[in-house]
Amino acid sequence: MAKTNRQQPILDVRNLKANFHTYRGEVKALNGVYLKIYPREVLALVGESGCGKSVTVLTIIGLLPENAYVLSGRIIYKGKDLLNASKEEMRLSRASELATVFQDPMTYLNPVLKIDIQLKENFMLNKDLLKAAVITNKIEGKQIGYSEFLGMKGSTKNLSIKKYKVSKGEIKEMQRKLCLDVLRLVKLPDPERILQQYPFELSGGMRQRVMIAMALARLPSIFIADEITTALDVTIQAQILRLMKDLKERIDASTLIITHDLSVAAEVSDRIAVMYGGNVVEVASTMEIFKKPLHPYTTLLMRAIPSILRPVNTLKSIPGTVPEMINPPPGCRFHPRCPYATVRCKKEKPKLTEISDGHEVACHLYGG
Amino acid sequence: MKLYQYIIKRLILMIFVLFGVSIIIFYLCRGFPTSLPPWTAYISPNMKPAQIEAMKIAHGFDKPLPIQYFYWLRDVLKGNWGLTGIWANCMPANKVFFRHFPYTVELAVTAAILAMIIGVPLGIISALKSNKLPDHISRIISLVGYSTPAYWFGFMLQLVFFYYFYLWGLPYLPSGGATGMEGIVPKLTGMPVLDGILAGNLEYTWDAICHLILPAFSLSFISLGFLARMVRASMLEILRQDYITLARSKGLKERVVIYRHALKNALIPVVTLAGIFFAGLLGGSAITEFVFSWPGVGQQALKAISEDDSNFILIYTLVCAFIVVTANLAVDILYVFLDPRIKY
Amino acid sequence: METRNVEVKSEWQARLADLKYTLHLMRKNPLVLSGSLIALFFIALSLLANYIVDPNLAYPAGYPGKRYPFERSYMWNNPIINWGPGITIYKGPEFFYLGTDGWGRDLLKMLILSIPVDMTNAAIITITLAVFGSLIGALSGYVGGKIDELIMRITDIFFAFPGLLLAMVFASMFGRTLETLRLALLLVGWPPYTRLMRGQLLSEKEKPYVEALRALGMGHIRTLFRHIIPNAIYPILVQATMDFGGVILTFSALMFLGFSPSQALPELGNLAADGYTHIFNAPWLMIFPGLTILLMSLAFNLLGDGLRDVLDPRLRR
Repeated sequence: MAKTNRQQPILDVRNLKANFHTYRGEVKALNGVYLKIYPREVLALVGESGCGKSVTVLTIIGLLPENAYVLSGRIIYKGKDLLNASKEEMRLSRASELATVFQDPMTYLNPVLKIDIQLKENFMLNKDLLKAAVITNKIEGKQIGYSEFLGMKGSTKNLSIKKYKVSKGEIKEMQRKLCLDVLRLVKLPDPERILQQYPFELSGGMRQRVMIAMALARLPSIFIADEITTALDVTIQAQILRLMKDLKERIDASTLIITHDLSVAAEVSDRIAVMYGGNVVEVASTMEIFKKPLHPYTTLLMRAIPSILRPVNTLKSIPGTVPEMINPPPGCRFHPRCPYATVRCKKEKPKLTEISDGHEVACHLYGG
Repeated sequence: MKLYQYIIKRLILMIFVLFGVSIIIFYLCRGFPTSLPPWTAYISPNMKPAQIEAMKIAHGFDKPLPIQYFYWLRDVLKGNWGLTGIWANCMPANKVFFRHFPYTVELAVTAAILAMIIGVPLGIISALKSNKLPDHISRIISLVGYSTPAYWFGFMLQLVFFYYFYLWGLPYLPSGGATGMEGIVPKLTGMPVLDGILAGNLEYTWDAICHLILPAFSLSFISLGFLARMVRASMLEILRQDYITLARSKGLKERVVIYRHALKNALIPVVTLAGIFFAGLLGGSAITEFVFSWPGVGQQALKAISEDDSNFILIYTLVCAFIVVTANLAVDILYVFLDPRIKY
Repeated sequence: METRNVEVKSEWQARLADLKYTLHLMRKNPLVLSGSLIALFFIALSLLANYIVDPNLAYPAGYPGKRYPFERSYMWNNPIINWGPGITIYKGPEFFYLGTDGWGRDLLKMLILSIPVDMTNAAIITITLAVFGSLIGALSGYVGGKIDELIMRITDIFFAFPGLLLAMVFASMFGRTLETLRLALLLVGWPPYTRLMRGQLLSEKEKPYVEALRALGMGHIRTLFRHIIPNAIYPILVQATMDFGGVILTFSALMFLGFSPSQALPELGNLAADGYTHIFNAPWLMIFPGLTILLMSLAFNLLGDGLRDVLDPRLRR
């Protein structure tokens, strides 16, 4: 984890600005977001409701609604700028590079289709790999489970797929096996039965696991989890988090976890990025951010978490309310609520600068 | 509740509704003095008043209305729907009705199929390109269809395709009737097109189809607008759902998202409403039949009304009501099979 | 602790802002805009028609039974369009924009005169249907229980009736006056409103604000009329607007089939019926009345359709 600043980031978001066009005015949702995700790490994006976390995700995967538009910025993924990509290219990246799991598993699963269909279509997006898997299975006699399938990613060029003919039935059989395997990977009991069920027949936790399985099936390089535990009750939340930690070792991908709950972030992530009012205001490793929060917002957030060891009579909250995004405060968007605000904060927006090893802050207090 | 229990409950309701309809229409037809009394079908102009009175008593026309109703109900349940027509030209009402019924069915079914073939894609395009030019065009077509007077459109079609084509020397479509070659082919189903196909007579079938095109199109033009709007509204609703966002985020092709994920959900409410609407088509075909001289029950009903023929009106109303109620039930049952969430 | 002053807007201010937003949305859609403009045009015309054209022109001298001499019948001396094969051209002083009908009346003037007849008819019927149908539906939905069941069964019965037929039977029984036909349409047209309102009420009833109002001690009637119904009224508005066009169509269809009180009544269906008899000689006699009906109905249907799009609470952004 300490090696992160010596590697190249797999996803590099630079100065992303995006607005929404509404009847009452332009909502300036993203105000210059800087975010870096390194390979094989878990990054948590933390912030209050309305600070732009989900908008960032939608911009990365290219599924912004019609009334949204990107003003400026770059999203560099494996050397290419995603904002310049065509719709077809974005679709292909969603198919095999970026996988997202969303918040409410009830509304995000199609109610009239069986789990079977909804799960296997993820595997079918990668027909070549499936074919290669079948060939490997037949020729080399290797048992292909999900982990082996994962390992085969990117190596299809070595195999001469075109030479062998594979029947449709064999492909169907292979993807069925993979479906069962990936369901087992997310710790779902009796996967055979689940495949034949409809979403409303499963419980909330099971549905969320199915969603995670669907994301894993696409062998992503970046796994995005947008508030996946928010709609679940606490016990299920704990189970899902444990699953995420377990998966961390197994899958060869970076994970971006969006949450408003700092404790969730602390559980699973290596690094935490704090967002406020459309900006990333602080980024550091998990230990660092809890031990030494630098940005005033982060400090106040930490202070607001009630401690079990030292109970208090009043909860410390952050005074004021979240800024209204149609007419946001000028300069640093946090300045109306910041106890250390200066005249400069009202005029000039601070830049995200690296203070110490891997720890970045966007605040004039630290020369931002 | 199990499915068959639900069906039984609905059947009982159905009978109740039919009773209600029959009581109301019976009271209307028989309870008020009209220009041609209801017993006209049983007498001829040569009869003396005494014979007329005897006839009246024989058929129970002198009894108070509720008793008349019970006699009528008893007869109907035995299959005797009374006589229709005036003076001596009377035939059993149900015979007349069912002789003309297949023509109406042919017309209505063809119109329904046409409406679906044109209307559903129109609605889908409208939803996908909502508020852009294809949507506006489809909207105009739908709403014009919905707003056109049925009789006017029929005549306009006749004017253009029959009269003007004839004047301009183009091959023209016939102006009326269901078939120009009566009697050539045995009447198995009563529907010219089907009879022609069953008899293998290509010329007859082609002639029947030529006669069918204009009336069917006229009838369907009005319904397809309605269908397209419904499909559009339903699709728009579905396309806003979260699971469509997820389907897109999976990287599926847009076509797959629409056809595999969105369409099935969108068509469920459409099917239920459309079923009832098409049942109404059978009753609403009267004007189109009149315009095109189509020998269906609607035209007969119009004739019956102008002649104050109460027996025929009774049977026509009840059959229409029966079709509507059955369509309701069928559609509700279909709903169970389409939407896996519905349980009884 | 920093506090912000929250403005308490009155209910009416909120509704006004809503209305402004609705109008803005409607203005943006070109179809809806044109529909509403055409509808306004027709409404204006219906109010002014009797001042523009002398209503006595509809009943020519010597009516009933007398027709003008042949040379004034269906003349078309408008040189722009001549659509029939064997037309006698009228070489007189008057210029008829749309020709004359079989009685020698100027078609354009007849069309103008017939618009208020149709519009007032449609307005009376639609408003009555909407008000009474939705009242019954609201009652049914709110009270629930056995009364609800009963009203729903009665609604089912009337729903199953073929409407046009019932109107015609009525007219045959009770005489062919405008009132009879109106009554017939009223009898058959109320079920959609009842069902619609009842559906709305069933879902509104469960909403928390109703419970809150009852907890505050508000009586049933007040809750129903001042709070629930105003929230539930949007689909009724949409249905009523589209029904307006439907009533115009049905009424003219009835007139066309011969149920009009008098042959000379300037009413669009009636004019079309007259035109039917001359259809191959003078097709314009039927084309123009039908076109007018189409336009009127289309305008209101466009309006209603646009309204439906705009008033959908989930589509408002």
